[in-house]
Amino acid sequence: MSESELTMGAGHEALLEASPYGIQSKKLAMWLFIISDSATFGAMLFAYGYTRIGSHNWVAPFEFWPTIVNAMVMTLVLLTSSLTMLAAVRAARDGQKSSANKWLAFTMILGTIFAILHIREWSKMFGEGWGMFTNPTGGAVQFGAAFFSVTGLHLLHVISGVIALLVITLGFNRGRFDANHVETTGLYWHFVDVVWMFVFPLMYLLNAR
Amino acid sequence: MSSNQEPGMGFFVVIWLGLVIIAGIEVFLTYQHLPVRTLLFSCLILSFIEAGLAVMYMMHLKYERKSLFWSLIPYTIFVLFMMDHVWPDAFRVARMSLLK
Repeated sequence: MSESELTMGAGHEALLEASPYGIQSKKLAMWLFIISDSATFGAMLFAYGYTRIGSHNWVAPFEFWPTIVNAMVMTLVLLTSSLTMLAAVRAARDGQKSSANKWLAFTMILGTIFAILHIREWSKMFGEGWGMFTNPTGGAVQFGAAFFSVTGLHLLHVISGVIALLVITLGFNRGRFDANHVETTGLYWHFVDVVWMFVFPLMYLLNAR
Repeated sequence: MSSNQEPGMGFFVVIWLGLVIIAGIEVFLTYQHLPVRTLLFSCLILSFIEAGLAVMYMMHLKYERKSLFWSLIPYTIFVLFMMDHVWPDAFRVARMSLLK
C-alpha cells in the first residue's frame, strides 16, 4: 500500500501521524469544542455583566424560596450527574457493560431532572410576566434578555447532552461504540457542569433578593 | 485513554463533596449582606476553584499529557481575560444613564 492509500483511503483505520497529546482524535476534537464553547459562554456572561453595570435600574428579583432553593437543587443534581458519568466511564473502561449502562442511565435521568426543574422555573417566571423584553418589577428589561439567553443556552446544552448520552448508550450496548466514545461524551457532560458553576452564582446568587 | 495512573472512585467522591461544599459556601456568602462587588469577586474565585477541580479531576486533564494542558488552558484563560476590555465602556454607559 502506498502512503497516500494508507493515509487517505483506508477509512478510520488509516495509518496517521501519532497524536502529540497521546489521545484519540475524537477526544482532542471534543476538547477543542469545549474550549470554543467556553469562549461562547464567557462572552454571554460578559455581555450580562456589561448590561447589568450599564443599567441604572437593575432589580435583583430572586427570593430564597422557591427560586434559589430550586437553583441549589439543580446544582446538586448536575454535580451528582458528573459523578455518575465518571462511574459510567470507569465501568466502560473496565469492560463492565451492564454497570456502564446503569451509570449512564443515572446520568441521563439526572440530566432530565435538571431540565425539568429548569423548564418548570421558566414557566413560573413567564406566568409572573417575565420575558426576554419584559420585567414585571419595573426594573431593567435587560434582565430577562440576559437571564433567559444565558440559562437557555445552557439548557440547550443539557438537553443535547442527554440526547447524546442516549445515542452513545444504545451504540455502546450494540457494540458500535466503545469506552473511548463514552469517555469523550463524558467530557462534554462535565463541561456542561463546569458552565453551571459560573451560571449559578452569576445569574442566580447575584440576583438574589 | 489517559496516560497517567488515576485514583479510585472514592477520591472522586471526595472531589464531588468539595464541589458541593463550595456551592454551599457561595449560597452562604450570598446572604451575608456583603457589598455586591465583594460578593461578585468571592463567587468568581470560588467558581474558578470549582471549575479547576472539575477540569483537572472530573475531566481527567490532570492525568493526560502535560502538553494537552498547556495547549488548551493558557489560551482559554487568555481569551476570557481579554474579554475584560468591555468594563470601561460598561461604566461609561452607567455614568451616561445616571446623567439622564
